[in-house]
Amino acid sequence: MNSRVFYTLIRLAVVCAALGLAAGCDDVSTAELKTPVYKTGLKDSDDNKTSAFRKDFPLQAASYDRNNESTFMSKYKGSVNFMKNDDVDPLPEGYKQGAQPYLKNLWLGYPFMYEYREARGHTYAIHDILEIDRINRYGEKGGMPATCWNCKTPKMVQWIKQYGDDFWAKDFNQFRTEVTDDDSIGCATCHNAETMQLQLYSEPLKGYLKSVGKDPAKLPRSEMRSLVCAQCHVEYYFNDPGHGPTKRPVFPWKNGFTPEAIYSVYEDNGNVDMPGFKGKFADWVHPVSQTPMLKMQHPDYETWIDGPHGAAGVACADCHMPYQREEGKKMSSHWWTSPLRDPELRACRQCHADKTAAYLRGRIEYTQDKTYKQLLVAQEYSVRAHEAVRLALEYTGEKPADYDQLIIRAKEAVRKGQMFWDFVSAENSVGFHNPAKALDTLTSSITLSQDAINAALKATNYGIAPKLEGDIKQIVPPILKMSRKLQQDPEYLKTHPWFAYLKPLPKAGQMWEGNKKIQ
Amino acid sequence: MSEVSPRKCPWLKILLGGVALGVLVLAGLAWGMRVTDARPFCSSCHIMEQAARTHKLSPHAKLACNECHAPAALLSKLPFKAKEGARDFYMNTLGDVDLPIVAGMATKDVVNANCKACHFATNENVASMDAKPYCVDCHRSAQHMRMKPISTRMVADE
Repeated sequence: MNSRVFYTLIRLAVVCAALGLAAGCDDVSTAELKTPVYKTGLKDSDDNKTSAFRKDFPLQAASYDRNNESTFMSKYKGSVNFMKNDDVDPLPEGYKQGAQPYLKNLWLGYPFMYEYREARGHTYAIHDILEIDRINRYGEKGGMPATCWNCKTPKMVQWIKQYGDDFWAKDFNQFRTEVTDDDSIGCATCHNAETMQLQLYSEPLKGYLKSVGKDPAKLPRSEMRSLVCAQCHVEYYFNDPGHGPTKRPVFPWKNGFTPEAIYSVYEDNGNVDMPGFKGKFADWVHPVSQTPMLKMQHPDYETWIDGPHGAAGVACADCHMPYQREEGKKMSSHWWTSPLRDPELRACRQCHADKTAAYLRGRIEYTQDKTYKQLLVAQEYSVRAHEAVRLALEYTGEKPADYDQLIIRAKEAVRKGQMFWDFVSAENSVGFHNPAKALDTLTSSITLSQDAINAALKATNYGIAPKLEGDIKQIVPPILKMSRKLQQDPEYLKTHPWFAYLKPLPKAGQMWEGNKKIQ
Repeated sequence: MSEVSPRKCPWLKILLGGVALGVLVLAGLAWGMRVTDARPFCSSCHIMEQAARTHKLSPHAKLACNECHAPAALLSKLPFKAKEGARDFYMNTLGDVDLPIVAGMATKDVVNANCKACHFATNENVASMDAKPYCVDCHRSAQHMRMKPISTRMVADE
């Protein structure tokens, strides 16, 4: 050791000892923990691009940039954006181990049949929504409301200021050219730009909080560490005309967070006009079974909130934004990804310090293995239920007197059974956020789909029974490929029996590429 | 017989002065040992804030940190404190502390011995050390309330 370092050490030791003894008078405070306060010089809601924050917060920005990593896979999840129905192709297009082969069948007639991929880092949110085939890129209009921007960009604050509730029902493609990757989910999504305090920008979440008498601006830190995520990682629907501002997003939480409570919200609040379903809400009508369907979207918050961790007050950020030290400073990780990515599982071991990483990983996969297995079973029952109703609708033999009631009963069970498995399927933890709820919901889903099959059988005096016997994968093969382009090809639509229920799309070339109009 | 007053005896003065000095030095050392056992000193390094805060909120708040975290016997305690202090000083200055901070085997053993030292009477008639290696395997929240949500325990550094 050279003498300079030695003397520096001695000096440091003396200073520390002096400070330490002086600090010997000051005990730690047990008052509410005070988070650091900043004064950035940025204006809230005006400068909401992430690049504006980079200079003042280089460590957080560097952590945020790690969301660009897109090659990791855990057993079921990860950051490769593979097609979630594709259990045939290798990564990055498919993933045999974690795919759900019947998704395109079950979402037939709905944009999710075109493209639905594994989620990845927040930094890709804009890139991925501009690329997705769910939104029409073969015409001027996207065919989807501007509400689809709601959880992709903090630019929402400007747009809502500018258009108010008229924003939602505008066409998605109208705003394509206004965004770049710098507008992706970023600092301003969760932070007040002036003070960096946690802040909610989300209109539907603020709407919900006000409806239960909470002031969105005055919530404790313990709640905000989950609510900033609940701005987006939730199930939602868009208002039907006549039920509040058209296409405004709403979180269906007024009756609670269970699948049953959410289903009850969709029993009205809609404009379905079909015998047995009048006034109910539906996302689309499945063309094969003619059933008014419900689509679940990533109910991560609803699943977490009454699970073992959520009920104990363990926040999203506790596991997904663990404290880490960068350049000697303790800060929250801003790399939102699978906690299973860390070989040491350090996020878990902030609490489970007595457990090894291998043990913790084993416990997570214990739940995920079972959930994934039963999810695939529930989806097979759901496909069989659609097929049963299809056969019953087309049945020409002798029917019982209560045929119409039985068909309504069958469709109701198809709708609810599918909503229940979708609640688990769309949720991103493969059961881990709430193991009992996930498996209970899947059991209910299987029972409901079987009810639908039973009702359809009865409606045909069991005449369709022979056509429903055997392996469902032989009766209704999984649809591997479907896109807006493929649907323009009448020849391709002859390759699967269920495609007969889809209309071919008009021939058209691509008009939009990313945020540019190319035609 | 020469008449030399004890006041004028240099040896006695030196002896008494030495004793006084010794008492002072020992008192100083004892005081220093006590101060450096206690929470205000330990939490003077910011990284110990979580441990200090959960300690102060706990039923053990009135005890010093080192009533659990160092051996009770002076002959073991002195070298243990020196070793731990040197390591913590190094990690806080030249080292790179990774989170979460987890106790090593030596500390776990010392803490467990101190559980038994204070709570021996409670456990006198039961085989409570047979099934679990450490008392805190059951009394988990004694480990700095580590099952509580992070927001009750930590904030980011300025």
